[in-house]
Amino acid sequence: MKRTTLAAIALAATVSLGLTACAGAAGPAETADAGGKTTLSVSVWNYEGTPEFKALFDGYEAAHPDVNIEPVDILADDYPQKVTTMLAGGDTTDVLTMKNVIDYSRYANNGQLQEINGVVDSLDKGNLAGLDAFNLDGKYFAAPYRQDFWLLYYNKDLFKAAGLEEPKNITWDQYAELAKKLAGTSADGKKVYGTYQHYWRSTVQAIAAAQNNGDLIGGDYTFARDQYNMTLDLQKSGAMMDFGTAMSQKTSYRTMFETAQTAMMPMGSWYISGIVAAKQAGKSNVNWGLAQLPQKSAGGNTTTFGSPTAFAVNKNAKHSDEAKKFIEWAAGAEGAKAIAKIGVVPALQTEDVTAEYFKLPGLPTDELSKAAFSPDKTVLEMPVSDKSAATDKILTQEHELIMVGERSVGDGIAEMGKRVKDEVLK
Amino acid sequence: MTTDTIQAAPPRNRVQGNRKQGNRKQARRNTLIGWTFILPNFLGFLAFTLIPVLAAFALAFMEWTSFSAPKWVGLANFERMLGSDSFWVALRNTLLYALGHVPLTLALALILAMLLNRKLKGIGYFRVAIFFPYITSLVAVAVVWNMLFSPDSGPINQFLQFVGVANPPGWTSSSDWAMPAVILTSVWRDMGYYMILYLAGLQAIPTELYEAAEVDGASAWQRFWNVTLPSLRPTTFFVVVMLTVSSFKVFDLIVVMTNGGPGRSTTVLSQLIYQEGIGEGKFGYSSAISLVLFLIVLTVTVLQFKLQQRRER
Amino acid sequence: MTNLTEDLRAEVALGGTPGGTAGHERGLAERRSPRARKERTVNVVIYAVLVVLVAALLVPFLWMLSSSLKENNQVFTVPIQWIPEEFLWSNYSDIWTRIPMMGYLQNSLYLSVIITFLQVLTGSLAAYGFSKIRFPGRDVLFLGYIATIAVPWQAYMVPQYIMMQQLGLTNSFNALILLQAFGAFGVFLMRQYYMTIPDELCEAARIDGLSEYGIWARVILPLSKPALASLGLLTFVNTWNDYMGPFIYLTSNRLWTVQLGLRSFVGQFDAEFAMIMTGSVISVVPILIIFLIGQRYFIQGIATSGMKG
Repeated sequence: MKRTTLAAIALAATVSLGLTACAGAAGPAETADAGGKTTLSVSVWNYEGTPEFKALFDGYEAAHPDVNIEPVDILADDYPQKVTTMLAGGDTTDVLTMKNVIDYSRYANNGQLQEINGVVDSLDKGNLAGLDAFNLDGKYFAAPYRQDFWLLYYNKDLFKAAGLEEPKNITWDQYAELAKKLAGTSADGKKVYGTYQHYWRSTVQAIAAAQNNGDLIGGDYTFARDQYNMTLDLQKSGAMMDFGTAMSQKTSYRTMFETAQTAMMPMGSWYISGIVAAKQAGKSNVNWGLAQLPQKSAGGNTTTFGSPTAFAVNKNAKHSDEAKKFIEWAAGAEGAKAIAKIGVVPALQTEDVTAEYFKLPGLPTDELSKAAFSPDKTVLEMPVSDKSAATDKILTQEHELIMVGERSVGDGIAEMGKRVKDEVLK
Repeated sequence: MTTDTIQAAPPRNRVQGNRKQGNRKQARRNTLIGWTFILPNFLGFLAFTLIPVLAAFALAFMEWTSFSAPKWVGLANFERMLGSDSFWVALRNTLLYALGHVPLTLALALILAMLLNRKLKGIGYFRVAIFFPYITSLVAVAVVWNMLFSPDSGPINQFLQFVGVANPPGWTSSSDWAMPAVILTSVWRDMGYYMILYLAGLQAIPTELYEAAEVDGASAWQRFWNVTLPSLRPTTFFVVVMLTVSSFKVFDLIVVMTNGGPGRSTTVLSQLIYQEGIGEGKFGYSSAISLVLFLIVLTVTVLQFKLQQRRER
Repeated sequence: MTNLTEDLRAEVALGGTPGGTAGHERGLAERRSPRARKERTVNVVIYAVLVVLVAALLVPFLWMLSSSLKENNQVFTVPIQWIPEEFLWSNYSDIWTRIPMMGYLQNSLYLSVIITFLQVLTGSLAAYGFSKIRFPGRDVLFLGYIATIAVPWQAYMVPQYIMMQQLGLTNSFNALILLQAFGAFGVFLMRQYYMTIPDELCEAARIDGLSEYGIWARVILPLSKPALASLGLLTFVNTWNDYMGPFIYLTSNRLWTVQLGLRSFVGQFDAEFAMIMTGSVISVVPILIIFLIGQRYFIQGIATSGMKG
């Protein structure tokens, strides 16, 4: 008897769950084409946490009342995997956001994207940073709307306390020297590092490649030797957290900087809006500023690296023409202004757009910070090629071995070259 | 039905059915009845697991980027695999992991199940606690264990130095010791899972067996060796097979804890399959690796199956 | 239902050791009091061992708990900070509005309950076929079942997705239910348990005139409660914690499960780990409830042998 009652209750509960489950969860429900509007679907990552998408979509809908944009929200972590799977199944999402150029080359080379030379030609090509990355033998399959680049974040209070000048146009040697001077303990007895380089391989390899004209998929990595020696020396001196700890404790670069545990930090421009938001919410009281990424030698141009984010049209798109119109708008001046307003760095770099960007409340207003925002040259973080993904894997593995001290810089660099030649270029 | 499926339970009053009569008719009836039992699960299994698996195996002989039609390439994927250093490294790591993970987890799960298979106040809460590592967020597991394993300041190495180990290992920041560190963490995480299976297995042992053994004056150890272990044989077979299979497929924990590093020292086959397949779009190649992985596990499982059947006789 | 099983069991047991049971009862009664004392000491030792063990097992969970009460930029500190500088209880109230957590919990519960129910039902049916009925091809088919467990999902998820897409099943709960409810795991687990149930029970029931379906429902199922409980428990936990399956198959946000919801705190360049830990702590609660209910079925066995006789 008892068991039957229990079973009945369980079944009833499940059925009622089933009825409410679909209606229960909130979030954007699919909207049908209402009142003659075209519904344009766009794949995005982490819609809630990436405000640039909402800014773009709202702006476009306001300018084009006949279009309704429906975001296809995908988790940021495994975005490319999900998009690949969906496309394999013949998905018809109209616009695909290209999270990085490696995936772009794969989709484009396999004929999954529509050629959009027409769109690109109508854009302000000269001022569109990162456009070159999408050029595949004269054909463009995507257009960038956002371009992040690397600069140096620093903690003004820690510099002042140590009696040091702001890090204006410094070289890597000066950077290392500053880091050693800045390391120590703070007023409330916490350990303070001179600098923090996140455990990504780019913090050594991409910088070295950009400033030495090195080719990251070329098979010869001797150009990275100085950068490795400098980094390892900082780590050994204790002015920088050691790689093993940072990696295994999943150290957050935001924590390091926002809680004043590091005085300097090379990092991408995406973090600007992050730290502004943290300060506005009262979660950090760091007095911060921006400087140019340190250079190989003094007095020359500022060279940094970065990577663009772009929109592309799916081969199976339901609304190809609408999709192209959207991309033209997003990569153009109006799209750029819409995202600059919320602190995201647009690919289109004109006086107008930069002015719009610096209207953002909470940005440091000193001259150095403004100057840092306009590097002379931004090199692509990883060359676009069908070899990029495989090379990236090898470079990461060998980077770890050098950084934990299992391989000397010379041996590590030699092994990188050997493996890339054997396993990828062969 | 037949004697060779009987387990440790000693033969009691054996009912002699009229098995000789109508043997063939009976066999056909049995087949029919057997299939009606199996069918509900088998249909779903066939349609949604078996067919995709077979499709993936077919891809092992093709080149396919998932965007266009597959192209037949014969054994080219296998040739590439055998010549690839990364494949052999991953295979070696996977085998090492399985060799460490399977016996340790098996032993600890059994010990824990024996310990927790009794009527004690609050035993339910202890059982939950043992199961906790399995439901704790992987990120938390990775961060805390990495902290415990920390080479200079970690408690594990401090203890090792205290007991006189002059040069304690570098654990997750050393190529040689990262794998043992991962194995220890995974044993800690999985033992509660397999304990549940053993707990269920222990319930099936008829209490009379223990009473009989006690009357015969058997010691606790003898009871364990002569009653518990043989009675648990089907459960142990299940646990060993599942442990082997899951060791060969290990993925999540390694990705979160070391992501295959430092270098390639903890990269395993399923990571390679994931990276080459959906990561780089070489689905043919990744299918070839999974086919090899499948064949290895199949061989091990068939051996265990035969071994178990022989013991049953 | 239970009566029948117990009768059968008694029949078998008595028939097996004629006259043996009575004598052995007497022997137990005589030794009871020193035995009880010894049992008490053993229990104290076991408690001590368990308490130490549990403390060691819960450490990462404590980190999770403490992180859930921190500001996001205080989670990953070196060295680890076990007690938050100030307790930020607001994470636990914020999470319900930051993401539709209630809806996600409902979705997870719906999927887990349905999948667990189907897996236990079809698994135990098929297991009966594989263990108690002998027919040609049985063992080969069974090996085929086990063998597919060995293929990593990463290897066939794309072909599987394409198939589901063509059936029009993607972006629905049905896709996940169909994929996960008919796994080989349950069949294997239940078959192994049924092997430990003496075949004489089935034979006796057949003589009593029960059909095979009757034996499954009225003899085997009641006897296999511990195995059903562990299969149910493990399936529930695995479905509840699954991330990749829902990630690939559920695209609309309103279908998302808890595990997907938690990952939505991971951004392109950083993540809100305080919120992720808060959500993880919340998502453990349903598992605890299920566990405490399910584990009650693990209570027969050796320790009670003296009492039950």
